Amino acid sequence: MLRLPCGTKFDNYRADHAWWQTRWTWIKMFLLFFILFFIIPRFAGEYWLGVFNMLGYTILAAMGVQLLIGYTGQVTLGHAAPIGFGAFACALSMYLLGVPYLVGVLIGMLAGGLLSFVFGLPCIKVKGFYIIMTTMAMQFITTDIILTQFLGPLAGKGRGGVLAIEPGMFHIGPWVIYTDKDAYYWMLILVIIMQWFMANLMRTRVGRAWMAIRDNDIAAEALGVNIVYYKFLAFFIAGAMGGLAGCYWLTTQSIVSPEHFPFAWSLWLVGVILIGGVGSMYGHIYGAMFMTLMLEFIKLALVPLSSAFPTLAGKFLFLKDFFFGLAIVLFLIFEPNGLAYRWWRTKRYFQLWPFPY
Amino acid sequence: MVEFAEVLITGLLLGGIYACIALGWAIIYKTSGVINLATGELTMIGGYVCFSLYEKGLPFLVALLGMLVIASICGILTERLFIRPMIGEPLLSVIMVTVGLSFFFKAVVCLIWGADTRVFTPRIFPLEPLTLGPIEIGQVFLYSFLVAIVLMGVLIAFFQKTRIGLAMQATADDEMAAMSMGIKASLVYRWTWMIAFMACGVAGALLGNINGLNVSVSYMGLLVLPAVVIGGMNSIPGAVVGGLLIGVLQNLGDTYISPFFPGGVKFTFPFIVMIIIMLWKPYGLWGWIKIERM
Repeated sequence: MLRLPCGTKFDNYRADHAWWQTRWTWIKMFLLFFILFFIIPRFAGEYWLGVFNMLGYTILAAMGVQLLIGYTGQVTLGHAAPIGFGAFACALSMYLLGVPYLVGVLIGMLAGGLLSFVFGLPCIKVKGFYIIMTTMAMQFITTDIILTQFLGPLAGKGRGGVLAIEPGMFHIGPWVIYTDKDAYYWMLILVIIMQWFMANLMRTRVGRAWMAIRDNDIAAEALGVNIVYYKFLAFFIAGAMGGLAGCYWLTTQSIVSPEHFPFAWSLWLVGVILIGGVGSMYGHIYGAMFMTLMLEFIKLALVPLSSAFPTLAGKFLFLKDFFFGLAIVLFLIFEPNGLAYRWWRTKRYFQLWPFPY
Repeated sequence: MVEFAEVLITGLLLGGIYACIALGWAIIYKTSGVINLATGELTMIGGYVCFSLYEKGLPFLVALLGMLVIASICGILTERLFIRPMIGEPLLSVIMVTVGLSFFFKAVVCLIWGADTRVFTPRIFPLEPLTLGPIEIGQVFLYSFLVAIVLMGVLIAFFQKTRIGLAMQATADDEMAAMSMGIKASLVYRWTWMIAFMACGVAGALLGNINGLNVSVSYMGLLVLPAVVIGGMNSIPGAVVGGLLIGVLQNLGDTYISPFFPGGVKFTFPFIVMIIIMLWKPYGLWGWIKIERM
């Protein structure tokens, strides 16, 4: 729970339920938005903008995983599939139907949601490990067969399963999303909208039903929650969020290939929310920041080290996996609640200081 | 018809290797309830260790035995360092520990041995196929199948004859009751991981003889999941039958379906069959049907 300083009181429920309750929070958030919208794009170079775009893509992609694992309790290990499917559906609908980008985004979201829904169908009868299996099946069937063999070659742009993206193809009205800076602003808009959407969704009847299913699905059913409907809804919405992430991914790339959505990416996303905090509204953000920035720091550390150990530079990929695997395992053993919990503890410590509680 | 028989038999023989991996998976699940998504990496480690020993000039069987020793040490270490702290944690956390381990192991293997494909040289099994009437079978497959079958026989005898095997069965049946009868759960888990490492390692060494060793060996570990699901997750014979079935399905799919759907069918067909079976029999062929109470 959020703790407020002594003497803060609210006169109505509206103020009590607000996301930003105090004036100080408003100031902090405006400062954050000012930094995000003005300071970073002005002073960050092209490379770091790319890093931030990757960070935003990870947040967008992990959001659906957070919804499924953290809030509905349906463990998914195939979330890269709706992401890739959404990306391909968006690009293909733009090529074949000639629709504008925003309509393509809607189609991509719908496609990702439907894919996730179809492979979520076994959740009527089974749960737990078997849901993991069906989502893994979704991963392999979608990436290795549907995208590579059928959707990729469909438009005839690019070679094999790879779709080429024409420069300036993505535009919203007169605003062409072409440079990294454009993609950065588009990412900020999407992340803010989706975060707002998800935070509010979890406060509604739907969100409460999901959390009831997560905590104990039999009890939830006994209390009158239609668990089949809500599980389907969770799969659909998570898939649609994945599709949106895929549609965003298109704007940062010059090609889109099935290889962008491997099984490792699905696992990576689950790792992101585990490190950030499962079932926390900010968990995927902290996790994405940790993972993306950790990679950059490894890269920065490798540059001086590789002059001493020349073989090290070629092994960045393995080192990345090494630290990622180790980070997941150590977080699970020593801090199972993730960075969000740690951040909350730290904040509370300073709020309550000098008292322990 | 001859082609069908060949496909069937080769699939069955290949299935022996999958059955080994499935066995390693099912033992862990049965005794400790941990869903081990790092099975493919255990396979890879075994394969590479055996390869290294073989490259040092040891005969293949000695290399295999040496691999078993090293694999069991790895098993003990893994259990002690990563799995034991997770006892009593929620299921998802333990699964994700194994996912983390899979990244970790894969990275360690690639850091040590590199990402290039390694082939056992000189070849261990001759290239000429065996002929049984009109049917031709690769010798690699036959010997691999035999080794796998021997290993499975040893393991099943181990389960039914030795003290620790019986303790493992008791723990699988009811952990609390077994502990109150004086069975040390940590010892059982240690043996479980040792055996899993060894079974997967043998499969890895054999797979390395068929296709050569590279990172893709670890994906074989994923393929085993449909095998255990079809067989029923907490059934050892189910895992073996499921493994054989996956081998056959894979070969049939590769021969008869991939002409119509180019590429990838070989690896996805078992998953598709698995989904269909799950819709019809959600607990597999021999799995325990769980009745949940509040």
